[in-house]
Amino acid sequence: MLRDALSKTTIYVALGIGAVLMLLPFIWMLLTSLKSGNEVMIMPPVWWPDDFKWENYKTAWEMAPFGRYLLNSLVVMVLSTLGELLTTILAAYAFSKLHFWGRDIVFALLLGTMMVPGEVLLIPNFVFLSNLGWIDRYEALIIPWTASVFAIFLLRQFFLSVPKDLGYAAKIDGCSDFRFLWTIMVPLAKPALFTIALLKAIGSWNAFLWPLIVTSSKEMRTLPVGLTSFSTEAGTIYELLMAASTMIILPMILLYFILQKYIIQGISKAGLKG
Amino acid sequence: MKKLTVLLTLMFLLLLVACNTTSDTAKETSKNASPVETTKEKETAKTEPAEPVEIEFWHAMNGDHEKALAKITDDFNAQNDNITVKLVNQGGYGDLSQKLMASAKAKTLPTLSQAYEDWVTEYIQNDLVADLTPYVENAETGMTDDDLNDIVDVFREANMWDGKFYSMPFNKSTRVLFYNKGLLEEAGVAVPTNWDELKSAADKLTTTKDGKNIVGMGFENGVGMELIMWVKQAGGDFIDEKNRKVLFNSPEGVEALSFINSMIQDGTARLAGEDGYMSGPFTRGDVAMYIGSNAGIAFVANDAEGNIEWTTAPVPDGKKKASAFMGTNVTMFNTATDEEKAAAWEYMKFLISKENTTYWAMNTGYLPVRYSALESEDWKKFIQENPEYGVAQEQFDGGFYDPRVVGAYGVKNAINKEVEFVLLGQKSVEQGLEDAEKAAQAELDKANR
Amino acid sequence: MERTTWRASIQAYLYLLPALVIIVLFTIYPIIKSLLISFYDDYDYFNDIVYARGFASYQYLWNDPTFHKALWNTFVFVIGVVPASIALSMFIAVLLNSNIRLRSFFRTAYFIPFVTSVVAVSIVWRWIFHTEYGLFNYVLGLFGADPVAWLTDPKWAMPSLIILSIWKGLGYNIIIFLAGLQNINEQYNLAARMDGAGKAKRFFHITLPLLSPTTFFVSIVSIIGSFKVFDEIYALFGGQPGPASSALTVVYYIFEKFYSEWEFGIASAAAYCLFIIIFILTLIQLYIGKRKVTY
Repeated sequence: MLRDALSKTTIYVALGIGAVLMLLPFIWMLLTSLKSGNEVMIMPPVWWPDDFKWENYKTAWEMAPFGRYLLNSLVVMVLSTLGELLTTILAAYAFSKLHFWGRDIVFALLLGTMMVPGEVLLIPNFVFLSNLGWIDRYEALIIPWTASVFAIFLLRQFFLSVPKDLGYAAKIDGCSDFRFLWTIMVPLAKPALFTIALLKAIGSWNAFLWPLIVTSSKEMRTLPVGLTSFSTEAGTIYELLMAASTMIILPMILLYFILQKYIIQGISKAGLKG
Repeated sequence: MKKLTVLLTLMFLLLLVACNTTSDTAKETSKNASPVETTKEKETAKTEPAEPVEIEFWHAMNGDHEKALAKITDDFNAQNDNITVKLVNQGGYGDLSQKLMASAKAKTLPTLSQAYEDWVTEYIQNDLVADLTPYVENAETGMTDDDLNDIVDVFREANMWDGKFYSMPFNKSTRVLFYNKGLLEEAGVAVPTNWDELKSAADKLTTTKDGKNIVGMGFENGVGMELIMWVKQAGGDFIDEKNRKVLFNSPEGVEALSFINSMIQDGTARLAGEDGYMSGPFTRGDVAMYIGSNAGIAFVANDAEGNIEWTTAPVPDGKKKASAFMGTNVTMFNTATDEEKAAAWEYMKFLISKENTTYWAMNTGYLPVRYSALESEDWKKFIQENPEYGVAQEQFDGGFYDPRVVGAYGVKNAINKEVEFVLLGQKSVEQGLEDAEKAAQAELDKANR
Repeated sequence: MERTTWRASIQAYLYLLPALVIIVLFTIYPIIKSLLISFYDDYDYFNDIVYARGFASYQYLWNDPTFHKALWNTFVFVIGVVPASIALSMFIAVLLNSNIRLRSFFRTAYFIPFVTSVVAVSIVWRWIFHTEYGLFNYVLGLFGADPVAWLTDPKWAMPSLIILSIWKGLGYNIIIFLAGLQNINEQYNLAARMDGAGKAKRFFHITLPLLSPTTFFVSIVSIIGSFKVFDEIYALFGGQPGPASSALTVVYYIFEKFYSEWEFGIASAAAYCLFIIIFILTLIQLYIGKRKVTY
């Protein structure tokens, strides 16, 4: 009994220390973002600010067009997610429920592309988009990201688990493939679609290298790209940098709190099957 | 059913197109733009647009610099009903150069941009920039000879290629010595005027005060970029522009780099490091002196408020007097329409008018680009009250501008990298200079093949 | 069974059309194009004209000490991050899997870094790593250690990057391990317990072997992910690949060649080298996985 209690305590202590270490950067970020300049650059550090300088957020917000960055990030996130859902639903349905020539070859080819690191695509895509005149426009930020082999693979697995009989029954009832897909399969696949959408949304919100390369004006930057340029401008004014970082980090943490069940489920499912 | 699929895809695409509302105007204008033949341009350097024109000006000005630029631009827009100049901040110079390259390819160049001389050399080779000479010589809207000669010689010459103007000087700077009055007084150190004094001052000023470490001397992270100045001060040559050969790997070069390196290695000097720019640690009182661009004066003035007492002095001399005049110019791209170009020319003239270049200098720390501005009562009075702003112009004698050969930017970057290796203790001075010579020569050869 | 017919095939390809158009244009075509670009020896970017083709880019990489350094740094990074991250996350996952309270709180705490923007948290870490005013050096100072120039000393830049990356990726690995652990039948553990096997023994003889498919999966994902590190470096060192290029990785090298120097041929060749390395590693992993993993 005693030994059990002791080992339990050890577990709690170990996990507790770990959790503190994991969260400390965020806590430090929040505290710093509310300090005055003199409280930031000081050794030994001041933990608790004398009074909360909420105006740091306002100052940071006004120093760079964060409103515009936010709008861009949202537009890109929403549209690329919607686009990916649409292309994924259609493609996954074809791969799981339709019989057609070349199906296995096409599917294998698509899976093969997953092995190629995205960095290989960077240069030709950049050249291609600049020839199209899409550089520094929403098209460049969104359209290349509206289809994902990984998402198609995930949803196909889900569609395959739907019993075949369901399809036959629907067909006999005179239901076309297309109606069957949207009225029966899609509602059934809601959890899987939700997972795909969530992973996509998080990825899109945090994406950096691509938006860095294809945007040039301030008006088109997304939040992460805007933040790095702000970090050059704000230099060593760490309270403002931390305020800006908080503004980018917080929405995702909130999203996580609201939807954590789905995110965790999605990742463990996607992870184990992939 | 098939129709439905197509319809959905179409709707989706439409949605995307509909969302692209911004920068449409900019795109349209650049689409209409066609390369104008130079002959036609010479005859008709049109001005005074009859219809509203909007032009973009890409720049890399931040903080107080950006504010001052915005003020001048607002004034211009208010005075010119039919011209709107839109400022587009591109971050730092590195970003600006990258974005310009990218948009040259995508045919979305702005009308105006800041650019270093060697960028312009490259743009000329690729036929991207407009020849400004017809605009300068235009009887109605051009500049008179007096007007032209009013521009400081070093700056005017830096903007001419084979007798033609391709840019106009805008934000010009040089290196000056910033020092913390209080710390120098306390240590009983006089303001250093030559290398030896600088070294001993740095040594004396490096102490610990109230548990805080103070370093005597500071250099910007890009100190390798200004190696040219140090080599010239040591009496050496840097680059042979005619024969495109780098010359800095010489005894003088070794002397120059060893001088900086010895201070860094014995801890009496530091680099800006993670602070990005020296203005941060300097105004916190962590560093007693530093050598940096006079364009930093506005930032230092801002941050020093209530922290430290400071001013500037000329950069200490080596064997020779040498100070590099740096900073960018404003250039015009030939992808713009005639109307846009005419509007841009009006703006360029406005930007460097006597009043505006004075205003610009007073609010940023950059140098006025006109003699008339430098000699004006306003400016003289201003530098009497704010002596830190007056130091840079004392360095006009011994002033030189950076080499303009194609690839100079790459050369400087390559040198900077190797200098960083040396200063961070990864390579010896000799090894670093040798590698820098190789890398720089390779850059030159590559750019001029 | 349904028959495959022309009609059905055309219909199916209509379903595939939107996805295929995007994937062909933005993935498959670039894969081929990138290979072609890597053989451009002399290329005019502005006018899209190739003057000469050949192996010059690959030759350049073969002789370029900077590229070798980038490769070496990348290997160091992978070795620094992957084993430590796997060991730590497995340990935490096993602890979380025991019957404790506050489980979801702990899980959240470990997972949060994963959902946040790499760029933003890297900037936060930049502040924590600050030499004079950073939290990290303050804590080390409490133990009597001298301040370390985490971000400006070439010796310490890579360790800083590794610390940040382990912290950032831990949560993902933990979640996967937790899922793996939950798939292990409790019966085995119970049986072993009845036989009097101790905790350590049970872990090494039951949990670890049964968890090996998961471990295998996590290591592939982590290795591949680590080989592609970029965002962290860009944000942590303020748009530089670390002091004196001490954190220059392969992807950063590609980025510099491509976006700062406009050397498309060399950048593409470097990207293909990265691809080949990842491909070989995946094959090795799959091979070992087939032989060693107990399912």
